[in-house]
Amino acid sequence: MDKKRRWTAGQRQSLVSVLGLCLAVGCSGKIGGKDDGEATGTPGVTPATFECDASAEPTELPLRRLSRVQYVNSVAEVVRRTVPAQATTVLAGLEPLFARLPEDRRVAKDDDKRGGFRRLDQVVQQGHADVQYDVAVALGKALTGDAKTLGAAVGACATDADTGNDAACLDEFIRRFGLVVQRRPLADDDVKFYRDIAGTTPVQPAALADVIATLLASPRFVYHVEHGVGTATTAPLSGHELASRLAYHFWQSMPDAELLAAATSGKLDTEAGYAEQVARLFADPKTDAALDVFALEWLWLDDLPAMDGRVGDPVFDAFAAGFTPTPALRDALVADTLAAFRHVVRSGGGFADFFLESRSFAKDADVAKIYGVAPMTTDPLKVDPARVGLLTRPALLATGSANTRPIMKGVFIRKALLCDEIPPPPAEAAKVKPELSDHQTTREVVEALTQQKGTACNGCHSTLINPLGFSTENFDALGRPRATQRLFDATGKLVADKPVLTTSIPQVTADDQRPSSGAADVTRYLLESGRVQACFARQYFRFTFGRLEDDKKDGCALKAAAEATKGGKSVAEVLRQMALAPAFRRRTFR
Amino acid sequence: MTEKRSMDRRMFLRGAAGFTLALPFLPSLLPRASAAPPTKPKRFVQFCTQHGGVWGANMFPGDAVLTEKRAYAGHEIRRGDLVRTLKSGKALLVDGAGGAVDTAVLSASPEALTAAIVKKMNVLRGLDITFYIGHHTGGHLGNYARNDGNGDDGKKMQSQPRQTIDQVLAWSKSFYDDLTSIKKRVMLVGNRISYNFADPAARTGAIEEVTGTRNSLTLFDEIFVPPDAGGPKRAPIVDRVLADYKRMREGDRRLSTDDKKRLDEHMQRLSELQRRLTVTASCGGVSRPGKGSSAVTAASGYDLDPARQAEFYGLMNDVIVAAFICGTSRIAAINAGETFSTFKGDWHQDVAHKCATAAQQPTLARAHQWFFEKVWLDLVNKLDAVDLGDGTKLLDSTLCSWTQESGNYTHDAQSVPIVTAGGAGGAVKTGSYCDYRNLAKVVTPGDNPTEKKWIGLTYEQWLTTVLSSMGATTAETEAAGYGNKGVTFATTQWMPFKDGEIYPKTVFDRMGEGLPFLMT
Repeated sequence: MDKKRRWTAGQRQSLVSVLGLCLAVGCSGKIGGKDDGEATGTPGVTPATFECDASAEPTELPLRRLSRVQYVNSVAEVVRRTVPAQATTVLAGLEPLFARLPEDRRVAKDDDKRGGFRRLDQVVQQGHADVQYDVAVALGKALTGDAKTLGAAVGACATDADTGNDAACLDEFIRRFGLVVQRRPLADDDVKFYRDIAGTTPVQPAALADVIATLLASPRFVYHVEHGVGTATTAPLSGHELASRLAYHFWQSMPDAELLAAATSGKLDTEAGYAEQVARLFADPKTDAALDVFALEWLWLDDLPAMDGRVGDPVFDAFAAGFTPTPALRDALVADTLAAFRHVVRSGGGFADFFLESRSFAKDADVAKIYGVAPMTTDPLKVDPARVGLLTRPALLATGSANTRPIMKGVFIRKALLCDEIPPPPAEAAKVKPELSDHQTTREVVEALTQQKGTACNGCHSTLINPLGFSTENFDALGRPRATQRLFDATGKLVADKPVLTTSIPQVTADDQRPSSGAADVTRYLLESGRVQACFARQYFRFTFGRLEDDKKDGCALKAAAEATKGGKSVAEVLRQMALAPAFRRRTFR
Repeated sequence: MTEKRSMDRRMFLRGAAGFTLALPFLPSLLPRASAAPPTKPKRFVQFCTQHGGVWGANMFPGDAVLTEKRAYAGHEIRRGDLVRTLKSGKALLVDGAGGAVDTAVLSASPEALTAAIVKKMNVLRGLDITFYIGHHTGGHLGNYARNDGNGDDGKKMQSQPRQTIDQVLAWSKSFYDDLTSIKKRVMLVGNRISYNFADPAARTGAIEEVTGTRNSLTLFDEIFVPPDAGGPKRAPIVDRVLADYKRMREGDRRLSTDDKKRLDEHMQRLSELQRRLTVTASCGGVSRPGKGSSAVTAASGYDLDPARQAEFYGLMNDVIVAAFICGTSRIAAINAGETFSTFKGDWHQDVAHKCATAAQQPTLARAHQWFFEKVWLDLVNKLDAVDLGDGTKLLDSTLCSWTQESGNYTHDAQSVPIVTAGGAGGAVKTGSYCDYRNLAKVVTPGDNPTEKKWIGLTYEQWLTTVLSSMGATTAETEAAGYGNKGVTFATTQWMPFKDGEIYPKTVFDRMGEGLPFLMT
């Protein structure tokens, strides 16, 4: 067989994610080095330590809007509190409107299309205004559409025959409903504004509907409006503002009655009272949803493709060797990793515990099969010792194709776990034209395409990207352990079975030239460097504050979180600590 | 401008009845035609597809048809009539590499690609994005900043966002001189192609993405005025909501300038909502479709099913045509990100990035042919089936275009293929294959020596042509950073030319003109 033919059919599958990834990720070789394409990439460009300048005033986001999930949750909460018995029916009627609400886009640093958090999307689309208005109007009608619902929402005074109590009835409702919707007690002039919408007494249901709709479309419902206490440029938030920040951060929804009561009583203004509420909210199972969202977006799990897309393809079927991924496998893989994160957080584990957690949390039979264990019933199960933690979880290894993606694995570690930047790929990177054969492993192909001396790709791929990705090549594209890579031609016929190589010099830091034998070493180096912990602090800061960090102005919050993470404090404590930080409890007004 | 506010029911149905595509014309939307289609207003549609990389022989007619030549912008440009031939049961404008019919992108069933449609088409070659942009979605409609940051050029352009041309038109008083029937200024299908100011009316704030939908029923609901149900009317409360926003903006002393700007931007959207609530288009006879596109995409396997992908866009096309008929919108932009192929491997890496290989080019070309016939031509035919009653068809007042992300090499945006149909209300001449390449400037990168690449005129000039043909004034065009104020950034990178030489001043000097051969 001519092993030197170019781009053979059999090679096609072996090239998955190879050539284009040089284009897709960045390999100019210009980071701190020469421009000649030699291996001069300098890892570790993102600082891993922070300085706290207590006098620094952060650059706050102007008037943050509720995220999509926060808005939908808030409307649902309003309905449940206002008409609990009719809530299911009323909310079902709103579903088509919610479907029209624009999706939040994941926003990452430098508009990177990978990574990022949806909370950072602050664009207000026309669709936001439209849907918020339509929901408000629809809800106004729904809550006043019949006597029973009207009575439940407003009170008996709204449906009795006595029109003389209408004015008081309306005022009481506006104050009560307004407190829920706007998360603050309404001032008298606010009450008057909404009262005037209803017009004169007797108050008709349609007029009440207008009042409800206006309240639900108000800026104080759809935005996080904060004034602080006092007139200082940087001022502490009021109790109700704190209640909202806490609730939307941990629960992605509005404050509950207890939190509002704590705000109203002033308890939230005290250190002990505030800490008590932080602990209560964090312990509440409702926080799990936010933890899942954080882990999902931090670990790029959103990007995991469907696992069943290539079933039926001869190469994939041969590779899968009797394992047929179902449409449900993708979500089940994600669920396993999310469960591991949640377990560590809820069991008091530290960051390293999560990073080193290798057990299976898979309740799904197919994911369990990938792990080589039975589905989990109560406790996580020990797995193949080759799995050494986060880097070897199937969700971070699976590609939906027959081939692993070492470049993407390296990019993920560099960007999501180390918060490093990778420069843009050079123009015409695709012009690298090595001779390839269908007997080359994925690693060999990647090296041939991206690590040729003198090419623009080599600078970054050989230092920043590939070495990290190669470390888990002892797992296949479904996340199953392997010692060899089976290579197939286009018909699915086995043409070679070659040992995989996981050794590399991962350069977690620029000056770290230690060799690695594989995932265990890389995991250890990452933890030892302290850089993954610092990056975790950055990522959680972004998720918490809905914006990118400024190392100088936000140094105090970052430093505290990074040091707590590095110091072995529980992840739970780190996450709670962010809410306890001064930065979370105040705002700079300019 | 006055719109014809009545429509002969028979004339409308005659258009529909003459439609012979496999998909019944607007099957779900127009059980009874009572709409009043406007006649004079223009419409603009642009389909945007990913990657490109189709070889010239598969994409463009042969040079032999280029019978008309003239000097322009420092080099010779060429034009010829589009020639429709029949081969192997198909109608073709292109021979296909090596004469292969199945890879001829501009081919379709003779019933779909009729001689009449061909006379209303244009095929444009030799229009370049003048720098290395790599992967992008924003460039189709003019916002080059929305690229993936490939290469220094792409990275540099990320800091120079601008409105896309659909949004320029959407807020152009020349294009939308009468908004009384307009429910949605732009119908957007898919995301990451359309961009505008945070406050488009004031033209202030950041350039932000305007997002679209992937749900045909959602789009339908946004553009159709529900029939008057009768009964007592309650005045909309949007003025009260606006008052609430103003109350906060003016009365809250702790709001920062940026906070107030956010409120201003929100109030602009409320004002737009308020305007739309007064729309009184006469679309009462249009029924809400029983089937929406989500029913097509929901089931597993959509990504590898070109037939379902065509069905998806067929439903979208129905809504677009119906909106044009009713006058509730006059612009549509569609990001068609599907592969339109059953290929099960990694499309991006194994096909698109291998466009230069003989092994993968046919797969790529066949996918584009499918899109051309089943998606783009589907809309074109639906537009042409609507008789406006004045001797013209809806297509005649429309400019319906299709652009690809790259030229004949993926990542390289030289000779981005542009296919159009419709005369933009007489502003655009049709029936031509226009070749704007400078054949003296070969910049073939070397992947495939037989597949050459040339330098030509600018893609900017195409964008100017769209704006101009749709009636945007020069002032509107230039205020948005197009026309003579367009992008003149050009680099040569790997090309055998020095910076500053690749695109001469004579080329950039013509950016503010409509494309030669096209503009009447």
